Amino acid sequence: MVKEEQEESPNRPDNTAFTQQRLPAWQPILSASIVIPMFVLIGAAFIGVGVALFIASRDIQLQELDYTGDDSAHPCYKCRSSTEKCTCSMTFSIPNLFKGPVFFYYGLTNYFQNQRKYGASKDDNQLYGDLDYFKDPSSSCDPYTRDSRNIPIVPCGALANSMFNDTFSLSHVVNGTQKIVPLNGKGIAWWTDYNVKFRNPSVTPLINAFNGTKKPTNWPKPIYELDTTDVYNNGFINQDFLVWMRRAALPDFRKLYRRITHDDYVNGLPAGNYTLTIEYNYPVYSFNGRKKVVLSNVSWMGGKNDFLGIAYIVVGSMCVVMSIVMLIVYAKFKFAEDD
Amino acid sequence: LTWEVKANSRHYHKHKQRKSFLCFTWGRYSDNVVRSHKYSLLTFLPLTLFEQFQRAANIYFLLMVVLQCVPAISSIPWYITIIPLLVVLSVRGFKDLAGDLARRRCDSEINSRPCDVLFSQFMTAQWKDLCVGDVLRIRRDQIMPADLLLLSSSEPHSLCYVETADIDETNLKYRQALGATHNELTSHPSEEALGAFNVVLCEEPNNRLYTFRGQLQWQGECFLLENEHILLRGTVLRNTDFAYGLTIYTIVLSVLLAAVLLAIGAGVSSYQAMTKTSFLSALVIDGKPAYNGFLVYWSYIILLSPAMPIALYIRFELIHTIHSKFIGWDLEMYWQQTDKPAEARNTSLSEELGQVGYLLSDKTGTLTQNRLLLRQCCIAGEVYPMDLSWNPFSSGGLRMFSPTLVETLRGQRCPVTTQFLSALALCHTVMAEWKEQAASPDEETLVGAARELGWVFLSRTRDFVVVSELGATRQYQLLALLDFTSKRRRMSVLRDPQGGLKLYCKGADVVILERLQKNCPHKESNEIALELFAEACLRTLCVAVRSVPEALWEQWSRTLALSAAMATCERDTLLEKLYDEMERDLLLLGVTAIEDRLQEGVPETIALLQEAGIRVWVLTGDKKTAVNIGYSCKLLHPESRLLEWQELREILQSADPQVSFFKAKQTELWATHKEMARAKTSVVLTGPELQAEFEERPEWGASFMSLAEQCQSVLCCRVTPAQKAEIVELVRKHTASITMSIGDGANDVNMIKAHIGVGLAGREGGQAVHNADFAVSQFRFLQRLLLVHGRWSYRRISLFLCYFLFKTCGFALVHIWFGILNGFSAQDVSAESSLKLPELYKSGQKKELSSPRKLITYLLYAVYMSLVLFFIPCGVFYNTDYDYQTMAVTVSMAATFAVTIETKYWTKFNIAALCVSVVMFFICSRITHSTRLFQSSPADYFFLVSEKAFIDPMVWLTALLTAWAAVLPSVTSHAFSVILSVHNKHKIHNSSPPPVELRSRFARGSSLRRSSYAISQGAGPGRLINSTTSIQRAEVLKEEKVST
Repeated sequence: MVKEEQEESPNRPDNTAFTQQRLPAWQPILSASIVIPMFVLIGAAFIGVGVALFIASRDIQLQELDYTGDDSAHPCYKCRSSTEKCTCSMTFSIPNLFKGPVFFYYGLTNYFQNQRKYGASKDDNQLYGDLDYFKDPSSSCDPYTRDSRNIPIVPCGALANSMFNDTFSLSHVVNGTQKIVPLNGKGIAWWTDYNVKFRNPSVTPLINAFNGTKKPTNWPKPIYELDTTDVYNNGFINQDFLVWMRRAALPDFRKLYRRITHDDYVNGLPAGNYTLTIEYNYPVYSFNGRKKVVLSNVSWMGGKNDFLGIAYIVVGSMCVVMSIVMLIVYAKFKFAEDD
Repeated sequence: LTWEVKANSRHYHKHKQRKSFLCFTWGRYSDNVVRSHKYSLLTFLPLTLFEQFQRAANIYFLLMVVLQCVPAISSIPWYITIIPLLVVLSVRGFKDLAGDLARRRCDSEINSRPCDVLFSQFMTAQWKDLCVGDVLRIRRDQIMPADLLLLSSSEPHSLCYVETADIDETNLKYRQALGATHNELTSHPSEEALGAFNVVLCEEPNNRLYTFRGQLQWQGECFLLENEHILLRGTVLRNTDFAYGLTIYTIVLSVLLAAVLLAIGAGVSSYQAMTKTSFLSALVIDGKPAYNGFLVYWSYIILLSPAMPIALYIRFELIHTIHSKFIGWDLEMYWQQTDKPAEARNTSLSEELGQVGYLLSDKTGTLTQNRLLLRQCCIAGEVYPMDLSWNPFSSGGLRMFSPTLVETLRGQRCPVTTQFLSALALCHTVMAEWKEQAASPDEETLVGAARELGWVFLSRTRDFVVVSELGATRQYQLLALLDFTSKRRRMSVLRDPQGGLKLYCKGADVVILERLQKNCPHKESNEIALELFAEACLRTLCVAVRSVPEALWEQWSRTLALSAAMATCERDTLLEKLYDEMERDLLLLGVTAIEDRLQEGVPETIALLQEAGIRVWVLTGDKKTAVNIGYSCKLLHPESRLLEWQELREILQSADPQVSFFKAKQTELWATHKEMARAKTSVVLTGPELQAEFEERPEWGASFMSLAEQCQSVLCCRVTPAQKAEIVELVRKHTASITMSIGDGANDVNMIKAHIGVGLAGREGGQAVHNADFAVSQFRFLQRLLLVHGRWSYRRISLFLCYFLFKTCGFALVHIWFGILNGFSAQDVSAESSLKLPELYKSGQKKELSSPRKLITYLLYAVYMSLVLFFIPCGVFYNTDYDYQTMAVTVSMAATFAVTIETKYWTKFNIAALCVSVVMFFICSRITHSTRLFQSSPADYFFLVSEKAFIDPMVWLTALLTAWAAVLPSVTSHAFSVILSVHNKHKIHNSSPPPVELRSRFARGSSLRRSSYAISQGAGPGRLINSTTSIQRAEVLKEEKVST
């Protein structure tokens, strides 16, 4: 008898399932009895989520006011081509209580903030408060890097230069008198933007940091004067500036302007008549854009969004339909076999 | 004859020494240093870079890096592309360097081997110090350090034996010094005499191993030199105590050859790699023109490609590496006896294993074990099996013979048996004592078998053969030796009494059977035995005897002496006639059947490979005996029609080779089986024929190949190593197929280097393995290598390619959809995501072995998927305050989920890999979105979004919906296939690969009797041994003196 060699040679390959490529493979879909219920289950789950989303979305109140003013009857029509400072007001009524907290958005359409060159036209180092880039902004900002006299522009670039500069005020008509609705501009920007991404140079007063630089050509006032009342809302960390600098994904977008969280309006806007006063500065006529103001409250899922709920329901229904088709096919084959 | 060598005069050759600087060389005579390394300290970097940038892929990546560096169009930091490129380049570079260092070590080991050189006396020197014209003393078992002219040796007649294993098939060859030098050196054996030869004139170094022309000018006379005076470098001196040789060629020949071959090999492999990679990159680039209608900016090219092809490239490397590991890990290809697993030395060819169209194999040592065994013999009509097949380890010493035979022998009961063994012990040309060495392995086997049975061949002198017969030593006088030639296919010896003159004859059956005396006993039974043996694919020999009357001998020997003295051409025919007269009225003693033992599983493997559509060619240095092996290893079908060169030539010469080929096939018995004709035709060629013709008419190559393609197999005999490589090239040139060569010896190295090479880690030296892409221990492992690993690799890689294409297109199209919505301004929405998407889910995908779908399905699916991946998030985010970075994260998240769900085969590792990849996605996202990175480089890591996005329910809901919608068609179709397969009870969902079935599908059917005549490789060394009859009696010496 030949003795089995006890010692395995080190050259001998390991006899494991992996090295011998014998790993048992498992397929999640094994038979019709699993497949069809699985499809039904997934479909049901999707439909459930979709319905929940849809209901949540339906409960959200939304008030949209287009103030582009391309209609001659519109109160803002006069401001459309005005070069002077122009103010117009619109009135609207809210039939029921507009539950708070109410979010105040401005919206633009046909505005390609996602255009690549436009989006890249900024200097992240400069916005991070790096003084070296105040003197010598990145060439990505071209042609908004320097003005005609070769003085560097801060903040440079097309994105900053085109900052939205309409301002709004909202007043509640109570017994014929206008009562100003306080708008809260704090905390409307992203935390990371406010605390990490954008930073003022550590120079006090702030204005000294901007020696030898110029404001963007379209801006009426330099960046260190955006909010002179609040040091923490001035310069690069101005909330409106931050909101603008976070580019929208698609050409039709809205951006948060203010929140209504104070005084009598903590629980929302009571029913009644309101006046929206607009300081009309931002030109959209040239690119056929539209401007609007959106008042909305939010639910657990965010703002009003019917699409997602419907999409969930559609996809879920497709799964269910598929499972029915599968069942029919399965039955047909089953019978065919029984015959 | 322009190559001049002066013996022992170094100063004469020194000033013509070959020198080189960079790439310039001058001088004729090189030193004897082997330099097979490619790089030096200075040339490494430029050379390796040059080689690497011959790959299209690398150039492409370089271009990408350059484009990235143009700030106007770059979308991601430049180092994202350059780091992988540098990694790829440096890994390759180090691999090359390691290989080169190994070669250097190997070279220096060879260069420092010792040998004895004559200065004023013999001193030990190293190989590298040798110079043309040096006189060397080679001892037993030493290797020739250079090509030498044999001056004399310790053996009688200055014979010596060299083993040519390294450059030829393994066997011993005889070499004999010139008579003149032999006489001079044996009569005055002194160092001065050795150094006194004047001038050798010969042809320039060339690669014709079997011919040599030259002349020796010595003492005012001129002697012609032939191949048999030359000891080639790399051969080993055997059974000879020492030999003196004059160095005529140093390494120049071998190294030039090797260098050229190396260059060709490298060129071929790099070209091959290039075509392969360019094919891949073409796939990626090819899409571009289609996009270009849409895309305006260059940056799209960067955007769509940099992460992708280099990722593709790295993944390919990864997959290849793992596949080669799998080959090494395979237990089924582990050979217990030598303790060697299979080895993939070249990792980048694993998928080509699945596409091999031609397998070119060496014979000796590859198909056969290079070990002959006497399997059966038929004595006096009785078949004695000597079946040793139960013991695969059986070799010389441990033989088990039929007990009845032993009994018969010991009892001395049967004179025929005794005679039979006497014949075996006497009738041969085996030379040395005890440890026999023969030019023909067949003879060695027969003599060995006789020894085992008690008839021991002890020694041979010029006139006598000493044999011990069952212990009793007898001396037989050898009167004449009628040598073997391939025409005669037989040989005989005449021996003197004890009991009258006897002629022993052995030879091919057809030759012997027609020379038998009338009413020869046992003829019938022997013929039946022959049939049996032939069916079993054994090489048969008939052994016969004749008692020669004294008077006849007297007369015959006189005539022989007369005719031997005659002029050459007539002499041969006369001798032929004389021999013929003597070899008559034979009494048939028996039949031997020798098995050229095939390696285990060779016939099955060849049959399996042929079934798999691989054409198997056998290239061998042997003579036509190989045809026999062809039959026994099922390369040639017993019924197949052999197309030899003459016939082939006629076909090729005819106006339309195809038509003539069909005509040829349909001749005679083939008219009946027209439909079978294709599979049953085989071509048998010899190397010299092939070379001669194709040198003259290179245009025949194509038509020859088209004919060969219709043949079952091709067998090429007598091909030199260089011709082997040429044949491989021929096949490669005229077919698009991938060729694979397999061999075990140094003589196969050229062939192995030509394309995919497999080295058998067998008994011969390791050169084949060193030069091969794959190394296995047994021929039969090829079936696993090709049919299992090759196929898997191929399928996995093609599937991977489809999948990758699908993914790439999916992403590219997402960009395009986004382009529609941002005015084609090259948005970088998923440059980010493609950067982040983990490499890992691809490796998880590697277990996937589902049937490869059509590329177009994948593309359509990719289009669909990209639409879903983009437009669902788009619908969700339209007219909301979500920013584009959030949308980017959502899309990439959805893509990750989709790809995860897409996996169809689930193993532990697969699931783990997928989990890891999903986790990696989140981790990588967090890392690249971390504030730390942003703070270190605000311009590059401005994507600070995941913190907020990953906790947003909308993002999650959107990603999940998108992912499910994206994979819905695939999952549905999969589900349908499951449902439809329910009724088919035979279909078992067992994705573990079905074992490759190894069935022997061939019945041992009726076979035509094939005679064999494998006694000697060459024209037989009988002339040398039989000095009594030819050298002494005939006064014509082989060396013709040419007076100067």
